[in-house]
Amino acid sequence: MSQRGRHESSAGTVAAAPRRFDFVDVTLRDAHQCLWSTRMTTAMMTPILPAIDRAGYAYINILGGAVFDVCVRYLHENPYQRVGLLCSRLDTPCDALTRGQSLYTFELFPDDIVALNAEALARRGVAVLTVYDALNDNRNIESSVRAGKAAGMKISAWMTYTLSPVHTDAYYVERTRELVALAPDFICIKDPTGLLTPERGRTLFAAVVQAAGGIPLQLHSHCQSGLAPEVYGVAIESGFRFGYTASEPLANGASLPATEDIGARARALGCETSLDPESLAEVAGYFSWVCEREGKPRGRVARYDPALYEHQIPGGMISNLSYQLETMGIADRMPAILEEAARVRCDLGYPIVVSPFAQYIVTQATLNVVQGERYRTIPDEIRKYACGYYGRLAAQPSAEFLERANIRPDEYVTEAPAAHIEPWVPRLRSQLGLGASDEDVLLAAFYDRKLIAELEDPAHGCSFRTTPLAELVAFFAQRSDIEYARVRFAGTEMTFSA
Amino acid sequence: MPANVAKDNLTYEDLLRIVELVKASPQFSEFRLKVGEIELHLKRKREASSPAPQAGATPSEGNEPAEAPAQTRRKDIAESWPAHWVVVRSPMVGTFYRAPSPGAAPFVEAGQTVEADATVCIIEVMKLMNSIPAGARGVVREILADDAQAVEYGQPLVVLEPR
Repeated sequence: MSQRGRHESSAGTVAAAPRRFDFVDVTLRDAHQCLWSTRMTTAMMTPILPAIDRAGYAYINILGGAVFDVCVRYLHENPYQRVGLLCSRLDTPCDALTRGQSLYTFELFPDDIVALNAEALARRGVAVLTVYDALNDNRNIESSVRAGKAAGMKISAWMTYTLSPVHTDAYYVERTRELVALAPDFICIKDPTGLLTPERGRTLFAAVVQAAGGIPLQLHSHCQSGLAPEVYGVAIESGFRFGYTASEPLANGASLPATEDIGARARALGCETSLDPESLAEVAGYFSWVCEREGKPRGRVARYDPALYEHQIPGGMISNLSYQLETMGIADRMPAILEEAARVRCDLGYPIVVSPFAQYIVTQATLNVVQGERYRTIPDEIRKYACGYYGRLAAQPSAEFLERANIRPDEYVTEAPAAHIEPWVPRLRSQLGLGASDEDVLLAAFYDRKLIAELEDPAHGCSFRTTPLAELVAFFAQRSDIEYARVRFAGTEMTFSA
Repeated sequence: MPANVAKDNLTYEDLLRIVELVKASPQFSEFRLKVGEIELHLKRKREASSPAPQAGATPSEGNEPAEAPAQTRRKDIAESWPAHWVVVRSPMVGTFYRAPSPGAAPFVEAGQTVEADATVCIIEVMKLMNSIPAGARGVVREILADDAQAVEYGQPLVVLEPR
């Protein structure tokens, strides 16, 4: 490729006009979900929103199931108010992710709650509703797609990648066709544990692009294997139009690739982007500082580890489990449990190793090993999963599991999981009274009253701009060991003393 | 500090370097820094120890953090039942529940006769609910854990006299 050849296409496709590759920011959602246990507060976000807005993203993802839940349970922020605040402060269109029929949880909700949530998000300013189902049973996202469109939002429909004998390219082509039938604005491949390889990407992406029939494709892949930036390169070459990425300090490791890195790759592959390097640098500088100030970890590029492909269990879950095993005095059983986890996954028909199925697999494997007998105790949720209560399984569970689970023929569910859930909204409205807003009704559908009563408007205590100098002064101010500080910088002098 | 600090704006990089230097020198009561355009002069209180923001949020893949199992208030149970009585034990470290949902009637009460496959309690393990069967037909003689109590692996939960 010549030096001036940035408009030349690689991979042998003929491109008359330069191709574009655009970016969806995940710094405010998945990045801190993966690296900070979802603990980024609204106040940590607001000072840097102007720079994020200038950075050239096509969309900014601001909400997901874990963010919603952590807002309520741990940060005591009203999640709808966070959404509204961020949408009002950003000109870039914002994107909100739900787990389809389960919304922000792992339970199933009736269609009227799903629809009311879509309306509430749209009213708060969300432009794109993104939905997926953890079983890839697309009957579970139909009501969300319908409600999101009716509320005037664009739709991004996701399917989740995993590695198993049944999750073949043909499997994903079939899922793509189902999504195409729902006529979303975007179709996305989500790789929650970073299992995609460039080799698999070459066959899978080409097949999915073809099946998508012109609907723009997106890639959302995590970096646990260290291969994600390469995989993004393959996606760009295969004709994907968008990549989900994070600001550099909150990228890599369990998070997604850095916007800066994928932007450089896209340009090297002859694509135009709208990224503004100066704004990206400002955002990265700010979040580097927030990591230091808050004592939060930065994302680190993961070493390639073949073990990831064997058990697929996310690192956070392994550390939780090893803590539990230690308290039981059986920390040495960890390798046996991970080995058993691989067998349990096969027995259960290859669920994707994400929440809640990752917990299912790990818990069942632990029970099997600790009790010294396979499937002596089977958690109720795993039986329900095996009955098809949450949706279609990727493959039939093993005979050994089915025999121990002892499922009666009348327990199997073949209809769409939410088909027979009675509407909730009338009951909740009559309980809450006429003064209740749609958001009050929704929160009451998800949480008990005590948690809701503790929610606060996240706008309190937010500042909407900051500078490194202001942060420096604030740093001195909050340290009780410093009684005197004089700062001189570029013609300014400040003195503080206790 | 880089040589190119002669500029109008302090950058986040400058800020991080300054903070690192301040944090790396807690034993000194006075701190002076002059580099390029930046001049700093700090004095520390003698006795105060530095209250640096606490470090170490555990990275985790999309999961809410594990709650550390609370110290079990384990009753000192003298396991002194007749040899043929059946003791239902906890399959794992978890949380014991007597009822299917908060406010609902308990699965069993002492004195009640239950079938072998009847659920006598739920043990929540890693956020999953495990219905624990009686294991034998009999009369519930004792319930040994309180509702929502943390229980240990193998801890006796319910004692039955087989019938």
